[in-house]
Amino acid sequence: MAETFAVDIEGVKKSFGGLRALDGVNLRVRPGEIYGLLGPNGAGKTTLIRSIVGLVAPDAGTVTVLGRRMPAVDVLRNIGYMTQQAALYPGLSVEENVEFFAAINGAEEGVDEVLKMVELDQRRKSVVATLSGGMRQRCSLACALVHKPKLLLLDEPTVGVDPQLRVQFWEDFRKMAAGGTTIVVSSHVMDEAERCQRLGLIQFGRLLAEGTPNEVRAQAGTNDLEEAFLRLAGDKVS
Amino acid sequence: MSGHRVRAITRRLLQQFRRDRRTLALLFVAPIVILGLLGYLIRGSSSAPAVGVANEDQGPLGETFAAALERSSLISASAINASDGDARLKDGSLVAYIVFPADFSQRAQTGTIAPGVNLEGSQPSISATVFQALQQSITSVASAGPGPGFHFEPQVHYLYGGQGLDTLDYFGAAFIGLVVFFLVFVITIVSFLNERSQGTLERLMASPLRRGEIVLGYMIGFTVLALIQSAEVLAFSLAVLKVHNQGSVLLIFGIEALMALAAVNLGIFLSMFARSEFQAVQFIPLVVVPQVLLSGILFPVSTEPRPLQIASDVLPLTYAVNGLRDVMLKGADLTWPSLQLDAGVVAGFCVLLIVAGSATLRRRIA
Repeated sequence: MAETFAVDIEGVKKSFGGLRALDGVNLRVRPGEIYGLLGPNGAGKTTLIRSIVGLVAPDAGTVTVLGRRMPAVDVLRNIGYMTQQAALYPGLSVEENVEFFAAINGAEEGVDEVLKMVELDQRRKSVVATLSGGMRQRCSLACALVHKPKLLLLDEPTVGVDPQLRVQFWEDFRKMAAGGTTIVVSSHVMDEAERCQRLGLIQFGRLLAEGTPNEVRAQAGTNDLEEAFLRLAGDKVS
Repeated sequence: MSGHRVRAITRRLLQQFRRDRRTLALLFVAPIVILGLLGYLIRGSSSAPAVGVANEDQGPLGETFAAALERSSLISASAINASDGDARLKDGSLVAYIVFPADFSQRAQTGTIAPGVNLEGSQPSISATVFQALQQSITSVASAGPGPGFHFEPQVHYLYGGQGLDTLDYFGAAFIGLVVFFLVFVITIVSFLNERSQGTLERLMASPLRRGEIVLGYMIGFTVLALIQSAEVLAFSLAVLKVHNQGSVLLIFGIEALMALAAVNLGIFLSMFARSEFQAVQFIPLVVVPQVLLSGILFPVSTEPRPLQIASDVLPLTYAVNGLRDVMLKGADLTWPSLQLDAGVVAGFCVLLIVAGSATLRRRIA
């Protein structure tokens, strides 16, 4: 019996009109690992994450999450999804936003803990519209975490976040992974890639290379991850 | 002031509109549609209201007048028995009936033209048309026969309403419903659209929430607001404006609640077809204006040109307006088949829109 994967994507294809967003992606994420999806804007990272959560119905192929073929509504209780844009209700306070997402996941008791974790407990009464971009991003993360999901999907969580907070975010991700949470995180920032246990390089809707950061570097024959990515991407294009 | 910079702004504005086909369509197509509709409503071969004529005159004049009325193009007159008249006003097959009493010719000899005019009375424009037709027939008969110098003394009787009612009494009933329907629709479509554009709907769809739960939650939330608003509008209309009301206040409130429910679901449903608040507001002339013109608020449905009557018959607002008028002007209660139909149709539309709203929710979250 093969190992059970937290996420198992097999031969997934998806086109929007004439645009081929995913072109036969095979990808497996092990429980408790931090898997980084790397690729330029428009490579298909967001579409891949949305297909994991069941918001995109693949034209071909299958997506299995935590042992269930997607789309499956009951699996969603175990998934935390942080969208690219800090999707919050601007007219509600921090606390009210987190309480809402806690309530729809049936996890009202987690609010205080998650607000402390993202260091927003001092600002819990502040209305989201008055917060800075970084604070909104933290609030958005809190909303994705409040129900303690087994699988956390983060679509470019550190865009617009200052370097200090970015370091702190990654420290939190590492702790959560150590506690058994599987994390799939997309990014186009290469220094973040170093912090992932495994990487998948995506371009033109295809997985170009996969492995630990060291494996990826070895595959490309370079010591620099950014250069490795450019080389691997260049090979496939030419 | 730099002409160059002003020109840059003007140019940018026109460039934006060139890509926004919907706004262009609205700008150039909507006025033609609305004015065309209005023109057709007013000038189109409108259906003449059905009027009954009962001739009981023992002399010859009643016959002459009845013939003149039957020739009139303003009304569609037919002979009836005076004893059937009230029943036919109630069932809606006649809007008025005119009786020439036994002594009609006799009194005409002494210079008094005194027909009995019995009006249904809930539609002031129809009552005016009936009088106009009667005046015309008098003029045509007078010019052919007895000559001038008589008094016109119609014995007017209203089944509903009457001369004590003013314009507000007639339109108030319909507007109470319209105000609630319109405002609730606008608020729902804009806030549901916000849910899409700020990305929270995407989050909701990635949560264990089911589509029906989202629609139902929205519906209950907005309905609470709408009910408070309905109560306020109703209280203001009845207590401050003193709009005439013959029926049960609770029943009016019930019809308003149904309309609010329909408006909420219409807003959720139509928000699927708009990408910005600007586009959502564009639904007002497209969705609301034709309904206002065709729902019988301003022009009675029974006098519209035939093709427009068909359109009116499929619009939910028509039934709501009719129901509110039945209650407030005629004192209808739920034992009236017409009110059962109106309430049933509005409720049916609510169900239809709830289903449509939840069905389209999945499609456009991207």
